[in-house]
Amino acid sequence: MTSSPTDTLPKPAPAHGGQVPPSRRSQSRVHARRRRPLKPAQVVSRVLLGALLVVQVYPLVWILLTAVRDDADFASHGAFGLPQSFTLDNFARAFEQGDLGRNIVNSLVVTLGASALIVVCGMMGAYAIQVLGFRGSRVVRALFLVGIIVPVQVALVPLFVDYAKVGLLDTHLSMIIPLAGFSLPMSLYLFMSFFQYIPQEIYDAASIDGAGPTAIFARITLPMSVNTIVTVVMINSIFIWNDFVFGNTFVLSEELKTVPLGLQNYIGAMGKTDWTATFAAVCVTVTPLLLVFLVLNRAMMYGLESGATKG
Amino acid sequence: MKKVSLLAAAVGTALAMTACAGGSTGAAPGDVNPTGAIKAREISWLLSRPANGSVITVMKGLADEYAATHPGFSLKFITTPDRPSYIQKLETLAAAKKLPEFFDTDATPYAQKLAKQGQMVDAEKLLKDIGLDQSYRPSALAYQRFDDGSLYLLPFEYGAEYFWYNKALFAKAGVEVPKTLDDFPAVCAALAKTGVTPIAMAGKEQWPLERWMAYQPFRLEGPAYVGKLKKGEAKFSDPAGATAAKWLGELGTSGCFQKGFSSVGYTDAQNLFTSGKAAIYNMGTWELGSLATDKLDAGVRNDVDFFTLPTVAGAKTADNDYVAPSGIGMAVNTRTYDPLVRDFLKFALTKYPQQYAASGALTPTTTDVTLPANATPLYSKAISTAEKVGDELAMPWDTQLDPTTNTRLQQELVLLVQGDVTPAEFISTMDTTLAQNAPKYFK
Amino acid sequence: MLPYRSRLSVVGFLLPPLLLFGGAVLLPIVQSVYLSLFSWDGITDREFVGLENYRHMVGGDPTFWTSFTNQLGYLAVCLVLQLGGALLVASLLLTITRGREVVKVLYLLPAVISTVAIGLLFQRIYSYDPVGLLNGVLDDLGLGSLSRPWLSDVHTVLAAVSAPEGWRFVGLYTIIVYAALLAVPRELEEAARLDGANAWQVFTKIRFPYIRPVWVTTTIMATTFALRGFDIPYLLTNGGPGQASELVTTYMYKTAFTSTNYGYASAMSVFIVLECLVAVGLISLLLNRKAVR
Repeated sequence: MTSSPTDTLPKPAPAHGGQVPPSRRSQSRVHARRRRPLKPAQVVSRVLLGALLVVQVYPLVWILLTAVRDDADFASHGAFGLPQSFTLDNFARAFEQGDLGRNIVNSLVVTLGASALIVVCGMMGAYAIQVLGFRGSRVVRALFLVGIIVPVQVALVPLFVDYAKVGLLDTHLSMIIPLAGFSLPMSLYLFMSFFQYIPQEIYDAASIDGAGPTAIFARITLPMSVNTIVTVVMINSIFIWNDFVFGNTFVLSEELKTVPLGLQNYIGAMGKTDWTATFAAVCVTVTPLLLVFLVLNRAMMYGLESGATKG
Repeated sequence: MKKVSLLAAAVGTALAMTACAGGSTGAAPGDVNPTGAIKAREISWLLSRPANGSVITVMKGLADEYAATHPGFSLKFITTPDRPSYIQKLETLAAAKKLPEFFDTDATPYAQKLAKQGQMVDAEKLLKDIGLDQSYRPSALAYQRFDDGSLYLLPFEYGAEYFWYNKALFAKAGVEVPKTLDDFPAVCAALAKTGVTPIAMAGKEQWPLERWMAYQPFRLEGPAYVGKLKKGEAKFSDPAGATAAKWLGELGTSGCFQKGFSSVGYTDAQNLFTSGKAAIYNMGTWELGSLATDKLDAGVRNDVDFFTLPTVAGAKTADNDYVAPSGIGMAVNTRTYDPLVRDFLKFALTKYPQQYAASGALTPTTTDVTLPANATPLYSKAISTAEKVGDELAMPWDTQLDPTTNTRLQQELVLLVQGDVTPAEFISTMDTTLAQNAPKYFK
Repeated sequence: MLPYRSRLSVVGFLLPPLLLFGGAVLLPIVQSVYLSLFSWDGITDREFVGLENYRHMVGGDPTFWTSFTNQLGYLAVCLVLQLGGALLVASLLLTITRGREVVKVLYLLPAVISTVAIGLLFQRIYSYDPVGLLNGVLDDLGLGSLSRPWLSDVHTVLAAVSAPEGWRFVGLYTIIVYAALLAVPRELEEAARLDGANAWQVFTKIRFPYIRPVWVTTTIMATTFALRGFDIPYLLTNGGPGQASELVTTYMYKTAFTSTNYGYASAMSVFIVLECLVAVGLISLLLNRKAVR
């Protein structure tokens, strides 16, 4: 798993000493196979993949279908299959009862804020451990490992008391800090595994030119990490966007509620819930994340794959 | 070395944090009319009620009205309608000593601890001081009282719990309304034979099934049994508890509840009844809007009626004694209690009943209800029946038992009704749990 | 390592992440370890009880051990679905020619949807009355005798609450494993085929050993996530019926926020941390030793 000494591309070296990035390699396979007719094994694998695809995509379709059913249809037809009715009332109710726009804005603020913290701190930490190196770096690594495996629930009471002391309660920061803190270790590990594959020669050359650690970070490490940054942001966004525990604990004001907290507005007396409106709201609130997800997908896939093969 | 000193610093901070857990209290619980001028400011209410429900709507309007004459005043609503999430929030705030001016809680043993700590204003004295003590229904206040009779919580709702049933399904199965609790197994068996679910049960919500545990003991011994049981002074193996366990086992074997009831939620259970697939539905008058207005499916609208909690042979409580809850209560924080809070409460609580009754709901005070325009005849019957609820209140057990025993009871009840454990096993498990937890909690 | 680095620059780069991590994660952990030595309900004064909470956990609380064995079952289902599923799908992906990218994105979709929606969906899939999707399919296949209320049957509930969690993240692990498989040098595989190795032998002798490092990372990720699994069991059954689907995490949550026994709940969270550390150690030991052999 070493890169060739002559490799001076401003891109990360591909995974295993190979000279072809994964996506191009797969294309060459495509060419090799297109001429032959399908073998039975290939038919079977296509059918299997198709079946699995249905299983994976079904929930999103189901949520959409539920969002356009009327209440009675949802109640009486077991909620599966095609709707017997079509209505947009659920969306009207969803917007009327909740403040979806504000919830989405809050979720965006929290997700962006936490992502920025995660990326900055994750890269700095990984750079210090992986690139700069120092005695005792193994201990710091182990310390961060603990963070990967701690259950968040029991930290709630101590955190709440701490935040109350320093006046952080009921602010965007009170969600951003713990969300970023608990996501930091995984991201730090991703960055570290990625930094391993920036060839030492690049650093050596820069050092000889007289660049200090900060300059090297800004001129070499940062520009070469764009894909990994996208990957880290995307993975963490999934978890941060959907976080309920921290939001529920630290946020008191209606104005600061994020999407998962806002979804509670459809719960009525004694737990009676307006499910069709809830699903209309789920549809609306999942859209921003989904859009970003689809747009950044290619970058993310590349980052995930290179991170994985090098980890 | 660096790591060690970091750790030491962290531990040091942790210790410092725990050192100042005490905190100061503002007014004494009984000091309901503090001296001083009314200084307008923002106050908050931590509550667990539907975001756009009548209680919040009415109180919002009253707060605005009050603010018009008191510039600078505002009431902030911090609502978490989902009850488990709410409880987590309440407990976290209480542990950090950050509870706001008003906060919602049931009259649970946990709330009683808060009251004993002097964190809640004495509601009995407060109501007397602002001249409203006579206007509340005694049973609405009784529901909010702790078991020593003290009152620290203010009710905003009122309702009675009935057994709604489908007359057409009853006729088809050839059964009558059960006269006693012991008639239920036979009624269920007959109903089940016609292919309908006898009783729609929202097992996922826990409390609906726990009500059924309370019925036999309440009829046999009145509210005294659970009062002693919770402290470990009575046992599940005593006659009242044993009868209840045996009865619930029979309800299970007679197929009373739909198969898989333990994972059915509130809305789904109600849908079973309102779509005519279930014959009986045990629910409070807060659902009148769904059960006794033209919102109810036309297919069953004229078939729905209700009966109240059946009696037993040799019952100690009267027929009109049953569960009549006044909803989650509101506590007033002593720490932030001042002339402003008192003045606002006096203003709001005086005007509240009239405006709330206009929404068609029963109020905790003796105020006449305005029937909604789309009400069916059943609506007024339900209201007038609720007016005649007796004085002995059947308290839901989930507000009585210590939380650990309560959680275990809810779990074991499902197993008992599903036939996974026998009544004898149920009793022995529960008595062990009770002995381990109750005395410790109520010491 | 960079040749010209100063102690100051290391500290400068290390300080921000350590501050964030220390303040948001380590400090509350240290505080809960400390809390685990007390009996505390959050309101009244805390009382120092030493190791009593740990003693009760290990020796006096059968529910804790039930939830521990359940957690292992939950772990097993999640691992089989996530790792097995990922390996299967990734291998299948290699055999198709077009649309790999699209298929991969679609596989990731369930991870984006909030757990509340997922919980509700599965409640309906498993439902018995009205007939849910699973029981409906079983009936259609003529396997009606197998249909049951999956979430109420004490024998099936644990598998039923584990499956959604496993399923949700299959896509994530698929992408990682797929990327690793792509990186296996084709020349090696071709050479093995020329030597007469069949597809299975190519897989076990060439492909799998090659992706082993990634496999270890993926296994650790999946294991630690499963040992902390909470949302879906909590939303679907809240541990019931009885304690049949109670996990250490849901039990801990209830102990903290229903029973308000913060000290005991903290002891359980310390247990979960230790449990994860042991699991990570075991995985590296087992998988890496095989690699040496």
